[in-house]
Amino acid sequence: MQDTPPFRVRMTGISKQYPPIKVLDDVSLTLKPGEVLGLVGDNGAGKSTLSKVLSGAIIPDSGTIEIDGEIVHFTSPADARAARVEMVYQDLSLCDTVDVAGNLFLGREPRRRILGIPFLDKADMHRQARAMLDRLGIVIADTRLKVENLSGGQRQSIAIGRAASFAPRVLIMDEPTAALAVAEVEAVLELIRTVSAAGVSVILITHRLQDLFLVCDRIQVMYEGRNVAERLVSETTIEEIVNLIVGRKFTARSARRAQDAELAP
Amino acid sequence: MNQGTSSGDVRAASLPSERRLLKHSLLTELAGNSVISIAAFFAVVCVVFSLGTDAFLTSANLLNVVRQAAPLLIVSAAMTFVITTGGIDLAVGSVVAITATLSAVFLQWGLPWPLAVLALLGIGAAIGALQGFFVAFERIPAFIVTLAGLSVIRGIALLITGGYSIPIDPESSFNLIGRGQIGPIPAPVVIACLFIVLANVVYGATTFGRYVTGVGANAEAVRRAGVNTRLVLLKVYILSATAAALAGIVIAARLGSGSANSGQGFELDVIAAVVLGGTSLFGGRGSIIGTLLGALTVSVIANGLILAHLSPFLTPIVTGTIILVAIWLNFRLFPAATRTR
Repeated sequence: MQDTPPFRVRMTGISKQYPPIKVLDDVSLTLKPGEVLGLVGDNGAGKSTLSKVLSGAIIPDSGTIEIDGEIVHFTSPADARAARVEMVYQDLSLCDTVDVAGNLFLGREPRRRILGIPFLDKADMHRQARAMLDRLGIVIADTRLKVENLSGGQRQSIAIGRAASFAPRVLIMDEPTAALAVAEVEAVLELIRTVSAAGVSVILITHRLQDLFLVCDRIQVMYEGRNVAERLVSETTIEEIVNLIVGRKFTARSARRAQDAELAP
Repeated sequence: MNQGTSSGDVRAASLPSERRLLKHSLLTELAGNSVISIAAFFAVVCVVFSLGTDAFLTSANLLNVVRQAAPLLIVSAAMTFVITTGGIDLAVGSVVAITATLSAVFLQWGLPWPLAVLALLGIGAAIGALQGFFVAFERIPAFIVTLAGLSVIRGIALLITGGYSIPIDPESSFNLIGRGQIGPIPAPVVIACLFIVLANVVYGATTFGRYVTGVGANAEAVRRAGVNTRLVLLKVYILSATAAALAGIVIAARLGSGSANSGQGFELDVIAAVVLGGTSLFGGRGSIIGTLLGALTVSVIANGLILAHLSPFLTPIVTGTIILVAIWLNFRLFPAATRTR
């Protein structure tokens, strides 16, 4: 591993058709280690499809995926997982009536065998869960709380923390901040920063453009199944991104207001 | 879905520890409430029958109640697992009938009783595996699969006996399972207690118990976590049918005969006991202790109605009413228990 390839992920020429529609048309995507990439575009632009290709849920018609310089062929989400590409599914990954520690360790609980029967090692599980939460800066009072009693942001944090604990190379999040209270959005964004600082590459799909400017290094804009632009966050404005997303010069009130808000503090 | 957090403004969310903890203790109190409320209900029923009848509060009668309750306790404990996964097993009464029948048949063939018991438990497990296969792997609703099982299995039992009950040799040691005593404690009670303790440990302290709860709460999450959820479901139905086989053995040994009509309506008592104990019919939450209390309550009501010289035909009416009221209270008083996300 002396000469680490510069790209953690390199997707080139990815195409996918659901006749008569070309959902993805020769799309590329690159991602460096520890980089946070914002993937934006209008509904139907293909960003979710592209992320599903990378997480193995959709098999592309053509194109190649390289991870750390190695060409991979994902035929199922399990393949992607084996290559340490994790996707955060919020409500699909938590059991409401199980406690926080139980959810973090679901499927790989610390266990003690007594007479060959696998018993849960609850003390160890809660200790490890506490350490995991502290390491990621997730604020939850008690790991014995049932997940159903947590707020939306805390639930999302648990889902991300759980995915992050698999030591992924790439973490894909689809709308992690949708429907969260303001302070909770901050907490989730902080968590994304923590995870990427640990060297995990993150793909963030969101409609909340202001979030992109807070955590992303780079933004990739998709329009009707194609890449239309890539911008470094430091070199663009929210207005430009809005224009790229809608595909024409568009001075939306919401964009202007968002930009003002961006400049104000 | 977030009505609890819509008030989560900046200040509240920046002080999460205190606020959330307060909410937690309140909610856990509510969740624990289903066990507390069945305990209270059980106590009330006991007091009413103690005051209303002379015979209820005698050691002879109480021993009789628990002896009669033993099959119900055994199957209810197993059914708690099934219902926690969000499923149901309606065939347990029929499995009781066929194992009671076959125990008499096997002993008539001259099979040594320990071998007969093992064979019967094996048959129970096989029936459970067959039903579990259709539920877990073929994705047919448990209600349909086990309703078919209820009909077919009792049909087979009736076919074997021709409708008559088959006597068991009164000299056989097999009868000790139902009539023996360890000290003053009837053998069925000992078996039921051991079974419940075991069920409680498995339910609360093992990975299997955890996955049973998880499958009931969000099967997809458990599947994505790499757990073979179909196997979990299969095991749960094997468990309930095997427990029903054990109950059938106990009943046959107590009565000294195998009848295809034993365990008629038994599934309703079992479901009543489990639901009364606070286990959610929607899956994801339950309690073996609650089930224990629920089963004892159902048994005490049946016993008390007879002691009070009321018609025994009132029992099914009361049982059915209990099921409805328990679920209604679940809906009204504990909306959290039925909340779907």
